[in-house]
Amino acid sequence: MTSTDTRPSPHFGWSLPQPVLSLWTLAVPLAAVWLFSSVASRISPSASIDLGYALATLVIVVAMWTFIGNSGVLSFGHIAFVAVGAWTMSLLTISPTVKSSIMPNLAPFLAETTLDPYLALLIAAAVGGLTAVISGFALMRLHGLEAGIATFALLMLVVQVLTYWSAIGPKSGQSMTGVPRSFDLQSTLLIALIVIVIAWGYGQSVSARMLRASRESVQAAPASGISITRHRIIAFAVSGALAGVGGAVWAQTNRVVQASQFGLDFTFTTIAMLVIGGMLSLWGAVVGTLLISAMNHVLGLLENGMQIGGVIVSLPSGSRLVIVAAFMVLIIIFRPSGITGGREARWPFRQRDPYLTGAITAVGEAKKR
Amino acid sequence: MIPVIQSLIDATSAGAVYALAALGIGLVFGVLRLANFANGEIITGAGYALVLLWPLSWPLALAASVVVAVGLSLLMDLAVFRWMRSQSPAALLIASFGVSILLQRAFEGIFGVNVRTGAVAPALTKSVNIGGLRLSLLAVVAIVLAAVLLLGVHLFLTRSRMGLQVQAAAADFREARILGIRSGAVIAVTLGMSGLLAAAVAFVLTAQSGSVNPTFGVQVTVFGLIGAVIGGLNRIGGALIGGFAVGFSLSLFTTWLPAGLGDFRVAFVYLLVIIVLVIVPNGIFAGRTAKERA
Repeated sequence: MTSTDTRPSPHFGWSLPQPVLSLWTLAVPLAAVWLFSSVASRISPSASIDLGYALATLVIVVAMWTFIGNSGVLSFGHIAFVAVGAWTMSLLTISPTVKSSIMPNLAPFLAETTLDPYLALLIAAAVGGLTAVISGFALMRLHGLEAGIATFALLMLVVQVLTYWSAIGPKSGQSMTGVPRSFDLQSTLLIALIVIVIAWGYGQSVSARMLRASRESVQAAPASGISITRHRIIAFAVSGALAGVGGAVWAQTNRVVQASQFGLDFTFTTIAMLVIGGMLSLWGAVVGTLLISAMNHVLGLLENGMQIGGVIVSLPSGSRLVIVAAFMVLIIIFRPSGITGGREARWPFRQRDPYLTGAITAVGEAKKR
Repeated sequence: MIPVIQSLIDATSAGAVYALAALGIGLVFGVLRLANFANGEIITGAGYALVLLWPLSWPLALAASVVVAVGLSLLMDLAVFRWMRSQSPAALLIASFGVSILLQRAFEGIFGVNVRTGAVAPALTKSVNIGGLRLSLLAVVAIVLAAVLLLGVHLFLTRSRMGLQVQAAAADFREARILGIRSGAVIAVTLGMSGLLAAAVAFVLTAQSGSVNPTFGVQVTVFGLIGAVIGGLNRIGGALIGGFAVGFSLSLFTTWLPAGLGDFRVAFVYLLVIIVLVIVPNGIFAGRTAKERA
């Protein structure tokens, strides 16, 4: 039966060409991040400090989305690339005199070099990406839960090496101090926006589309000639490089870098942000990070004691993570695909699909008869 | 020769502890498809019970550790995991990660961030000398305890009616349910067993170190989980052997790595894990069943 229904659709809307619609999925996250930053930087000095961390975390979570969201494979290992990025940034920007005092056993070429922070940022991306490619060849052949837990082994391996290898860092487990602050909030924001654009651009690529096909069916995708392993390694590399950038930005924000910082708590916080926002969409990664960062800021104020209507409210320290964890568990139970439902930001004035609407009216009329 | 035997005994005892942890995780995974990260906090809870109550009365401490472990195990299922039975193993793993962090902070709030110390089973710290071989009593107890528990679990799973139901549920939960297996009881029994195993792990670890902190159970759980994966998560025996292998190699690395590399012993274990997974992606004893084809 062919439909001859030519009545105008009952829903108002402007239909836009597809490229514009897909640009919209980029524009909304960018605008949200920009708006969030400009509001947060005006509230209070402490809010702008937290904003720096929020933007660094945003880069990391978007990097994680690039792999987890597109491939559907859980990774607990991304903080390893973050650690590598932070390490690269610190080693390349701390002044040689400071380096010689806190890292006496440093390899000579690292001990003497000091680079421009933006160059160091690019190198951090390269090192993160390279680590991801090398480990990807081993890890990306795994599926499902095994892959998740194996990436976890990667994290532990990297953290152990960074803790104890004194040729590339301080003596066992000590911290690297004196990372010069060269990125102000503006440039951090710019880096975060660029990372979002790159992640989105990757998401539009053929490779990412094939990877998403394999996410939907591990059986059908290879049957259609898609090499899952290959596209997973590509995604892992892109996401490792972006995570390296995240680590470098984080090192610039925190200015003290220590291997033990890149552990379970960091992994958990970032995964929670991704899960809460909705791990299948870039928009979800952005929403989750901004929401949890804002929540963390408010809870941090409450931990220090805050006056609300004549009563001083104060939370025990450490309750931040408890609340984030509880929130995440509730989200997983009641809205497993996250706040955004794993969808990208959609054009709000879209026209309903005429075929779909036609079908619905047809069914409705058939029922009336 | 003697140092070799010595290190093998130490490694066996370490392996036994990790095997118990991996078995607890593997049992629960088999039935619920839940790779329970929060197993570590069950161990920590039992550890606190042992360390804090042992000076008062040791039978009380032992009983309390089992009650706490089984209680926590059942409680977290009741509060969280039973509401997400239909979700993917990955979602369950993330949720258990959340529960783990939540409980760690709860322990911090209740018992403080600092280490709580207390001599648990101080009689076991003695060691006997047999022909130049220093045999720590605790190592022997750990091996015996593990052997007894493993035998017990094995007999239960293969000889009792309930155990067979647990095995059936682990093979195919939905089909087992259709065939009339009481799923609630099976799940409760499985969780109870994993709690008991966690309490045993806590006993050996607290007797070794005499101290507990909020992240006490994390390391053994991470190794247990990884051991279960390299053994094959969908085979209970595989998980057991994988856990043993991880503990065994960790102990051997600790003893035999040259001084400069000694710090990297944990790194070597993880490297080994990755190598094993590259060779056998589904785990050593996984068989040919593909898990994702659900």
